[in-house]
Amino acid sequence: MKKSKSDIVFRILSRLFILVLALSVAFPLVMTISVSLQTMNEIYSADPVIIPNKLQFENYANAMASGNWPRYFINSAIVTFFTVVISLIINSMAGFVFARIPFKFRDVLFVMILLGMMIPTQVTLIPVFTLLRNINIFGGGDSGLINTYTGLVLPFIAGSFGVFLCRQFYVSFPKELDDAAMIDGCGRFSTYVRIYLPLSGPVLASLGVLKFTGTWNEYTWPLVATSGDEMKTVQVALTGFRDEGEIYWNLLMAATLIAGLPIYVVFFFAQKHFVSGLLAGSVKA
Amino acid sequence: MHGYKKRDTLSAIGMLAPFMVFFLLFIIYPALKNVWYSFTNYNLNVDTWIGIKNYTRLLEDTTFIKAFKNTCIYAFVSVLSLTTLGFLAAALLSKGFRGVKWLRMLLIFPYATSMAAVSMIWLMMYDPNNGFINKALRAIGLMGEKWLFDESLALGCLIFVNIWKNIGYCMLIYLAGINSIPEELYEAATVDGAGEATRLFRITLPMVRPVAFFVLITTMVDAFKTFEQVQIMTRGDPLYATTTIVHQIYQYGFNEFRMGYAAAMAVVLLAIVMILTLINFRLNRSNESEVGIG
Repeated sequence: MKKSKSDIVFRILSRLFILVLALSVAFPLVMTISVSLQTMNEIYSADPVIIPNKLQFENYANAMASGNWPRYFINSAIVTFFTVVISLIINSMAGFVFARIPFKFRDVLFVMILLGMMIPTQVTLIPVFTLLRNINIFGGGDSGLINTYTGLVLPFIAGSFGVFLCRQFYVSFPKELDDAAMIDGCGRFSTYVRIYLPLSGPVLASLGVLKFTGTWNEYTWPLVATSGDEMKTVQVALTGFRDEGEIYWNLLMAATLIAGLPIYVVFFFAQKHFVSGLLAGSVKA
Repeated sequence: MHGYKKRDTLSAIGMLAPFMVFFLLFIIYPALKNVWYSFTNYNLNVDTWIGIKNYTRLLEDTTFIKAFKNTCIYAFVSVLSLTTLGFLAAALLSKGFRGVKWLRMLLIFPYATSMAAVSMIWLMMYDPNNGFINKALRAIGLMGEKWLFDESLALGCLIFVNIWKNIGYCMLIYLAGINSIPEELYEAATVDGAGEATRLFRITLPMVRPVAFFVLITTMVDAFKTFEQVQIMTRGDPLYATTTIVHQIYQYGFNEFRMGYAAAMAVVLLAIVMILTLINFRLNRSNESEVGIG
């Protein structure tokens, strides 16, 4: 039959496409692991080495010793932790207000927040830098809050995407919940704390995973807002390898993998939330 | 209408305040301030009003024009590749076969990885002397290329990295769209004798058009904001072949401290992103009434 013939061709072509795609995505990752376990001799040799002769696990230790890596990890962890926790609290509270509490100018404010979502951080980079440079409270020194944890965290928690995400989530709750809570004598805030917050698991997990990945992976703001080795985050420190005269590719690839480790752990165990967060942001209900 | 309760208004203000303070201070105020800066010669010390001089200078700045062109090429090729490859990947990986979950996970993996790490991985791959690509090419008797150091190849290399990193994201968005297509459509088509290819191009493709549009806009906005891979991998070299709008903003803002001029570039970027996003909002709304995606 003619039809089944074209089906076979289609099937072969589609399998081929998937194969090529999977290989081109996987191969650089495989090479990253491979190079991280090679000796510099293997890297300098003309042959393309895929499986190292002897796995050099000490590369990982050497990579971490090639800079103040414990410090970079602590810096990234502190910045990420405070960004995630503060964002979750203030975003879900604001999301609840936009979903449930009627007040004058609510719609105007919400439109402003949607507009705020469009503004690229690259556009506000310079004014945010100069603003933080001029704030001398909260532990700011001569250069204000530049090169402090506060200065690293503040711009990250201002993003309005989380408010939008939480609002969409709370809007789908039945209004009767609020009425019942009111009859029991709950005010708006205690309704939020006692009823909405305990039911917020899914949205907070998605938002939390997205914020975690976004903050840990961020490069531009820490690049601009830190100076010197002390305050470097993992991502900024990683790119420092490039500026050295001779690049130790094996150590660099080892560091690259270690720098991504927290993300890979979260990604592996919370893939569902990662995906649902991405989708919630893309498909507007 | 005066139907608002005073107590409600007070709770709303109280619960919104923590977020609004940060939002106004670190997004709205800086965005407006940036527009102001763009009309001054601000350089951390002085900021004198100089009218539209920054903007007229932009039009004559050959480096900025080059950056604008590069960004457009980067966006165009990335978007075209990601919308089509992402669709094909999603359509072919939407059916359950053994290992499909692992394949999907593999494709999303680079998306979860930071751009800094991805840039390092590709610096290693592209390295002219010790990089794997050239080693492999030489092993089969070819010369190898200078990749990121070649004026005519460098931008293409960066675009490829962008596609490599983001294809998983596009696939995910398409998958959500494909999964919401009613199964009956396919059954009916099969009864009518439609083959797999026909079903792909006659049912799946038209049904995911709104999703495709969303992918197109988000990848385009993303491409216009390209900075990290440029800063890390090429610094805009060779001969400005890979410099982008945001890379120029960074150069003028934080290396030369001509922040007023950089602010004018940022306004151009803001305008582009705003227009793209508004088109997306518009079409998203009109699509929703016809096809419920979600």
